[in-house]
Amino acid sequence: MSYEDWFRQDRLPHIYCAGCGNGTIINCTLEAIDEMDWKKEETVFVSGIGCSSRAPGYIVTDSLHTTHGRALPFATGIKMAKPGFHVVVFTGDGDLAAIGGNHFIHACRRNIDITVICMNNQIYGMTGGQGSPTTPVGALSTTTPFGSAEPAFDLCELAIAAGANYVARWTSYHVKELTKAVKVGMETPGLSFIEARVQCPTNYGRKNKFKQVLDQVEYLRSHSMLRQKYLQHEERGEPVPDATIVIGEFIKRGRPVMGLPR
Amino acid sequence: MKIEIDESRCKGCNLCIAGCPYKIFQAGKKANRKGILVPLLDRPERCTNCRLRHLYGRVLCGVCLMTCPDQAIRFREERPGETVKVAIEY
Repeated sequence: MSYEDWFRQDRLPHIYCAGCGNGTIINCTLEAIDEMDWKKEETVFVSGIGCSSRAPGYIVTDSLHTTHGRALPFATGIKMAKPGFHVVVFTGDGDLAAIGGNHFIHACRRNIDITVICMNNQIYGMTGGQGSPTTPVGALSTTTPFGSAEPAFDLCELAIAAGANYVARWTSYHVKELTKAVKVGMETPGLSFIEARVQCPTNYGRKNKFKQVLDQVEYLRSHSMLRQKYLQHEERGEPVPDATIVIGEFIKRGRPVMGLPR
Repeated sequence: MKIEIDESRCKGCNLCIAGCPYKIFQAGKKANRKGILVPLLDRPERCTNCRLRHLYGRVLCGVCLMTCPDQAIRFREERPGETVKVAIEY
């Protein structure tokens, strides 16, 4: 078996724009699932609305394409009704942080045994490039034509504070590390939150001086810093450059878990 | 084993060029039937996975495989009787 067997070959090629990082994240997730030896009948993919949430439509297993921001409540329901099932949630930053923000906090608080993969492209890609809660300060979008003035959301810190059992962040450049992180997240009981920073060449890159897809991937590569290194910087009191993406495993702990099979 | 790019799926984003440590993928120059510049393969026999996968029994690098957002790159076995170019370790 390989990750290709999890794709619905009749539905490919998918609708994502050329250079969109979402396809990479789906590859990594399916590769991790393939290594987990899960049965196709016992795996469910749940998603909300958005670019990233089109992903379960290209996967052979059962899937739910639910209302905007409400992927996590639906996933909670599946896990409560069928604790033996493996539930994976694909979601975007607008879906998770803006419209489903409260659901996310409470799913972390309850610590349900699901895996949440957030494809954070820092913008509402599907609806035409509106600014989302994760748009960085100064970034241009349709609703922030003079640069975003609000500080951006750090979803990983939010998940840690709310009580998720496993939190990690990688980018679409770090494919091997992301695959490993998704696998560790699936093995960890409790809510595992993996944030994957992806490039959006059509709506984000075009407005923010990334003419080519490779420019934005290079930006993700050069601006990312491992968490251990970041903590060392913090310890020594050295300033960290602006717009640094802290990557790596943030936390792995054993809080009480809800929804384990009895 | 050899690398193959599925032209019906490739959208010409050139992400494989950034990923490959051997720089096997080069930017395409000629548009295909759909008007997409599909990347060219520069001496693909250098690929680690193609050379040593059967020896080690696992996927060795596979970064292009994971990076390709359109699932256009795949490794396939040579057909019986197909000529195989062999590369010496660089």
